[in-house]
Amino acid sequence: MSDMRPEEPKEDETGSATKIAELEDRWKRALADLDNHRKRAARDAERQRFAERARTVAEWLPVVDNLERAIEHGGADCAVLLEGVRAVRDQALELLTRLGFPRQDDVGRPFDPTRHEAVATVPDAEVPEGTVVQVTRPGYGSGDGQLRPAQVVVSKGTQTDGPGS
Amino acid sequence: MAKAVGIDLGTTNSVIATTEDGHPTVIPNSEGSRTTPSVVAFTEQGERLVGQLARRQAILNPKGTIYSAKRFIGRRYDEVKSEINAVSFDVVAGPDGAVRFNVRGKQHAPEEISALVLRKLADDAGKFLGERVTEAVITVPAYFNDAQRQATRDAGKIAGLEVLRIINEPTAAALAYGLDKGANETVLIFDLGGGTFDVSLLSIGEGVVEVLATAGDGHLGGDDFDRRIVDHIADEFQRDNGIDLRQDPQALQRMFEAAEKAKVELSSVTQTTISLPFVTADATGPKHLNTTLMRSTFEQITGDLIERCTDPVETAMADAKVTANDVDEVILVGGSTRIPAVQALVRRLTAGKDPNMTVNPDEVVALGAAAQAGVIKGEVEDVVLLDVTPLSLGLETLGGVMTKIIERNTTIPARRTEVFSTAEDNQTAVDVVVLQGERERAADNRVLARFRLENIRPAPRGVPQIEVTFDIDANGILHVSARDKDTGAEQKVTISETSNLDQSEIERMIKDAEQHRSEDERLREVIDARNQLDSIAYQVEKRLQELGEGVPAHEKARAEMLVGDARQAIKEEAPVERLRNLAAELQQVFYGLTAATAGAGPSGRGGSGGPGPEGGPGAGGDEDVIDAEFTTDE
Ligand SMILES: Nc1ncnc2c1ncn2[C@@H]1O[C@H](COP(=O)(O)OP(=O)(O)O)[C@@H](O)[C@H]1O
Ligand SMILES: [Mg+2]
Repeated sequence: MSDMRPEEPKEDETGSATKIAELEDRWKRALADLDNHRKRAARDAERQRFAERARTVAEWLPVVDNLERAIEHGGADCAVLLEGVRAVRDQALELLTRLGFPRQDDVGRPFDPTRHEAVATVPDAEVPEGTVVQVTRPGYGSGDGQLRPAQVVVSKGTQTDGPGS
Repeated sequence: MAKAVGIDLGTTNSVIATTEDGHPTVIPNSEGSRTTPSVVAFTEQGERLVGQLARRQAILNPKGTIYSAKRFIGRRYDEVKSEINAVSFDVVAGPDGAVRFNVRGKQHAPEEISALVLRKLADDAGKFLGERVTEAVITVPAYFNDAQRQATRDAGKIAGLEVLRIINEPTAAALAYGLDKGANETVLIFDLGGGTFDVSLLSIGEGVVEVLATAGDGHLGGDDFDRRIVDHIADEFQRDNGIDLRQDPQALQRMFEAAEKAKVELSSVTQTTISLPFVTADATGPKHLNTTLMRSTFEQITGDLIERCTDPVETAMADAKVTANDVDEVILVGGSTRIPAVQALVRRLTAGKDPNMTVNPDEVVALGAAAQAGVIKGEVEDVVLLDVTPLSLGLETLGGVMTKIIERNTTIPARRTEVFSTAEDNQTAVDVVVLQGERERAADNRVLARFRLENIRPAPRGVPQIEVTFDIDANGILHVSARDKDTGAEQKVTISETSNLDQSEIERMIKDAEQHRSEDERLREVIDARNQLDSIAYQVEKRLQELGEGVPAHEKARAEMLVGDARQAIKEEAPVERLRNLAAELQQVFYGLTAATAGAGPSGRGGSGGPGPEGGPGAGGDEDVIDAEFTTDE
């Protein structure tokens, strides 16, 4: 009611004004934190879904690799069986494509560390140096959707041993 | 404000972490990995590659791919003669005898290489966090001298980072476990990574960390274990087939990959298979490598590697003048300490002490560095210390079970609302029993309060909507209210003793729940099945009444018989199977009845969580029980 205020409460008042400002600041920070967290969580969920799918699919790739090897090594004496294996392999490749990880065909491309992992080099006069001449284990997917890079053999030009030619 | 990070700048791999609200977490790189190879490549085309990409092209560019820069940083050329032979790139003496890497005529300092690794880590982390990373705590081995530390600091500067502090790797590991907060202790840190082994003894007390001694082996690590497995399987294959697979680069590569995988598996199982079909071929056709590797065999072929860890530990203890019994804490660092034989050795050397290994050993150093960065930035101060509910809070619901409203470990303040209903036709009151604990059976938990909400307007069971709100404030005080949505009538209670249990009591209750988990799950299953069966029996009965003469006699008889069976099964506490079978049959009957008179669906509720008959156990006699949930919202 009265306008006369003793000194003390005045101090109190500035004190509580600071307090209010501080609390308001914290409150806004908390809200901002929550909001940022929500956005991050949404992004993370997306990323994790992809990562988990990729991880699961990648675990199966060795099976596909081994089907390839079976086809590669299969002799003429088991042509019928081989035909079946080939069909299974094609089915697997189609499935991988559908899941967003198509098999990459890298022979003849220039070596690119974002897509390839070099496992060996060979001299090769036919193609420019740094060309993928053989894929020892194919890569699946590309860009952000890369499941694994291809393991490749790369040409080392005409040079066989030591300098000079 | 930019984020401060902690960086474990490793010999083979590096890790970056940050603290968020006081919790250190590792940040993945742009390729999605939590570790980044400490490798930099300068390609013929003049490109610079860092991390995984640099590693992938290493064999094309052996002279331009720099790895293990940490072995050279801050050292003089004449100090590193032995390391030079172990790397494929050219190491030369630069100005004042400093080490330089010579790539196509251009000299690069080790700091420059480390800076490129640091830059990638910081850039990728910045992208992940959505804010620039400008300040870092970087770790170095405890044995690094001033020159090596200064050079590491310079690497940070070159990378554009403000280096808040250089700290020792073992110290960072101890910080990650919060050991700096405890009493005076002697701590042994055993760090076995991919290619290096370090032992450190620290004395920690009142926030001061002193390095008592360090020892190690600069060329011992997980890679050696992989090589042993490769030799083992290659020898076996050669014995059986007469072909040495090590001569075939492609087979060798496959063997190394398989060896590491087998090694990692043997850390958790006692036997694994290594399968490399079509690994090679000769005149007789393709050959497959198929073998089983027992953990005991693995331990036998790597026994001497494990033994090589003994000396450095003993040396460090002798230098520090402590015995195994003086060691208060043991911390395991580095991926290779996941090997059981390594852990056994550590136990043996430390008088049987259980080592700390709850923090991921490949990440513990970076996490500790991040914690330190957080402390330096005073971030921890800014954080309002948030409490959590130590135990779940909930209600007793039909069948005498606890329905949790606020789960244990929920950060408070928190508020949850759920809508419940009645269990009986024309029930006019509900009892709200507020419970705390983790057990399924209401009677096994602690009762915090009970109250009654009355004057509910008569209605069939399941129709009234009782909104129950649990609101726990920042001080742990719980307000529970129950409101009849129909009349607006409300009852509430305030409970201040939700948090007055001491830690041991809380732990006892949690352990109790863990011990009884499977038994509790079964109980819950039975009660849920019983409630569900009762609900569907009630629906069928009601439907029959509504349809009256419209139902063919034989159908009616069958329905009535099933309802009778259901009631009997519930009363006799029949096994879950029987309850579920009956419920399924009744469901069919219900659909039949509904189809017969199209348009009339079940009265707004799903098949599950339906209302139940008598008050559940624990709510004996005429007590009115709140029914299982109906709908939920925030
Ligand atoms: N579960 C495991 N069991 C055995 N060894 C493992 C396991 N996980 C990782 N490793 C090994 O740990 C080593 C990498 O450890 P890390 O601490 O990252 O090395 P560094 O600090 O030398 O960069 C590799 O040799 C890897 O094979
Ligand atoms: Mg390490």
